[in-house]
Amino acid sequence: MKTLATYSIKGGVGKTTTAVNLAYEASRSGVRVLLWDLDPQGAATFFFRIKPFVDGGAKRLIGANGSLAAHIHATDHPGLDLVPADFSLRHLDLHLDDAKRPTRRLAGLLEPLTGRYDLAILDCPPGITLTSESVFSAADALLVPTIPTPLSKRTLDQLSEFLADYPAPPAVLPFASIVDLRKKLQREIVAALATQTCEFLPTVIPNASVLERMGVERAPIATYAPNSPAANAFRHLWSDVLARLWK
Amino acid sequence: MMGTDVATFATDEHDPATAVTRLAAMGFEFGPPRTVIRSLLETFDGRLYNAGLRLEVRECDGLQLILTGEGSARAQLIVSSIPRFPGDLPPGPFRARLVAVADVRALLPVLRVTATRVAGVRQNRAGKTVTTVTLYEHVCVDDHEVAPWTIEVDELAGYAKDASKARDALAQIGLSRLDGDTLTVVAAAAGVNLAGVTGPSGVPLDPIMPAIAGFRAVLAELGEGIVANWQGSIEQLDPEFLHDLRVAVRRTRSVLAEGKKVLPPAILARAVERFGWLGSVTGPARDLDVHLINWTTDTDPLAGDVVAALEPVHLLLKQRSEAAHTALTRILQSAEATELMTTAAAWWREPALDDRGGVDAERPLGKIVTKRIARAHANLINGGRLIKPDSPPDQVHDLRKDAKRLRYLLESFAGLLHETPRKAFVRRLKAFQDNLGEHHDAAIHVAELRAVSHELHLGHASSETMVAIGQLIRQLDQHRIATRLEFAEHFAAYDTKATQRDLDAALARATR
Repeated sequence: MKTLATYSIKGGVGKTTTAVNLAYEASRSGVRVLLWDLDPQGAATFFFRIKPFVDGGAKRLIGANGSLAAHIHATDHPGLDLVPADFSLRHLDLHLDDAKRPTRRLAGLLEPLTGRYDLAILDCPPGITLTSESVFSAADALLVPTIPTPLSKRTLDQLSEFLADYPAPPAVLPFASIVDLRKKLQREIVAALATQTCEFLPTVIPNASVLERMGVERAPIATYAPNSPAANAFRHLWSDVLARLWK
Repeated sequence: MMGTDVATFATDEHDPATAVTRLAAMGFEFGPPRTVIRSLLETFDGRLYNAGLRLEVRECDGLQLILTGEGSARAQLIVSSIPRFPGDLPPGPFRARLVAVADVRALLPVLRVTATRVAGVRQNRAGKTVTTVTLYEHVCVDDHEVAPWTIEVDELAGYAKDASKARDALAQIGLSRLDGDTLTVVAAAAGVNLAGVTGPSGVPLDPIMPAIAGFRAVLAELGEGIVANWQGSIEQLDPEFLHDLRVAVRRTRSVLAEGKKVLPPAILARAVERFGWLGSVTGPARDLDVHLINWTTDTDPLAGDVVAALEPVHLLLKQRSEAAHTALTRILQSAEATELMTTAAAWWREPALDDRGGVDAERPLGKIVTKRIARAHANLINGGRLIKPDSPPDQVHDLRKDAKRLRYLLESFAGLLHETPRKAFVRRLKAFQDNLGEHHDAAIHVAELRAVSHELHLGHASSETMVAIGQLIRQLDQHRIATRLEFAEHFAAYDTKATQRDLDAALARATR
């Protein structure tokens, strides 16, 4: 099983949107996907109309006898299951801190599901925290949505510098997210990022109203706007990721 | 059940409307009836089934492949056509899982079910589906109705209670729960063996039975193996048919070689000659199959432009392979070949009363076989010890044949031997054979490529192609030399006291 995390130090860059739509596209291509919502806001959980409830809370889940299997919920899409989030995840760092080998705990929880799924997608909260470090140990790759601003490159560099200390760091796969293609500056920043950043994925996710509609439709974009540029972009993004994860 | 939590219900006494009404009262909403075709794809030898996998094709508003397995989530893939081989699918884990199990075997349709499907879903207040049910009516295989109707309740992860309520409701109205989903139930009703055709499973043998009876039983089973793979070899469904046919022929020849004093001399002489012929005429097509199967692996270490320059070589090998298979098909369809199979079946199954066996015919089978296997092993050891770094290639080739003979005897007479030590012994032997086989394949490929190179040269191939084929030949020749250098190490790992102990333990049962 490969593990992919949608991650960014910054908030509001499209991590959950990416996790939800990529998980859907992956499942459509025959991949058995488990999406784990690690964000206490539970937006991914909301998008799949699943009740935001972790039985026993984050404390029991992270504890020595915790298991992910009991928390798995089928979504309405074949091949795509979800571990929901609830508000108890706001204390995830504290519970990880209490656990043995906290940075290995998330990987430990995923390990028993290896034969059941091909891909685990971790939808992460923003920031660099103990949770993030546990994600870095568990993930084969970090998919980093990057909004084109003058500070984007600096944020990516900070992440790379942080990961440089890891003995086996995950691959970092940044891509341009929520891009207003009408704005020249944004187009130029995307072009610069693509040339200056290693492994910068070619797909650009456009800023579009169909992205906002996800909150109303509570479903992946391809289910209600299958031919929209955004749906096509997530399809291409999945192709980019597939080619890198299963070389 | 194969990895999905599906409960199937049926009854002869109720109209499906009763079940639908009951479920509708619970909040299920049903869609319109649709025609659906559900098929199972499987390799000829049931590799998916034996690996705990099931590959279904579902045709209804498009084409879907559904791969399920024990303890595995369901994987679903939309395709534009039904793949013939796993390798025809797009890259990704779906294909990788199938390739890992089926390898080069074709995915053959083993069951095709048509039905009228009515799907029902129950959602919670958030609009989330919590249970799905599917009613199948007029369930037919080859236009014959095998079940009037079934209804499946699909338990979704995280919503066990909801599925339980639906199952209870169906049970309460008198429906019986069946073992497996609709496809499994239909396969059983239609007599479809999902385990596929397996190789020789070992005929029941008794060490004290007359040797001639044991040899005939083993040869009859091997004959069935040849017949089972005959048509698939003719139709070239996949390369394994010819491979398995040749293995059965070689095993037959090994058993015949050991049956000199057991089988009736007249029959033996004819069978040795005829199966020798069958072995030789099937060889060229198989050698080219192996070459083409290994093509990607062989060319992988080469640079991209070199591989591109080799395309004419690849094409020529394919043409040679097609020609070899065409010739083989003619032979397998000839009266000569058909007569061989008919006659052989008569030899082994219905021995003529005047076909008196050899001098050992009535001796106990166990003693005869034990002696032959021990001798074959001793020959292999003695032959291996004689091989030095400068020994001629023919000597290594003969040793490879000795190893095969021993292996085939162990497998053909497996029913006489202790299973655990036999398997341990075969593992050691196989490891040694792998080295001999790699060496042999490399040598055959180098010879074939030299012939192709000559042909291309006469046909004025581009200089890039000639340089590329030279590189490929050099690389394969290096591999041939490397495997030859590794021979001593592999033989030493086989020529041990532990190997002898395993063999003695395996044979102990046959000499009791």
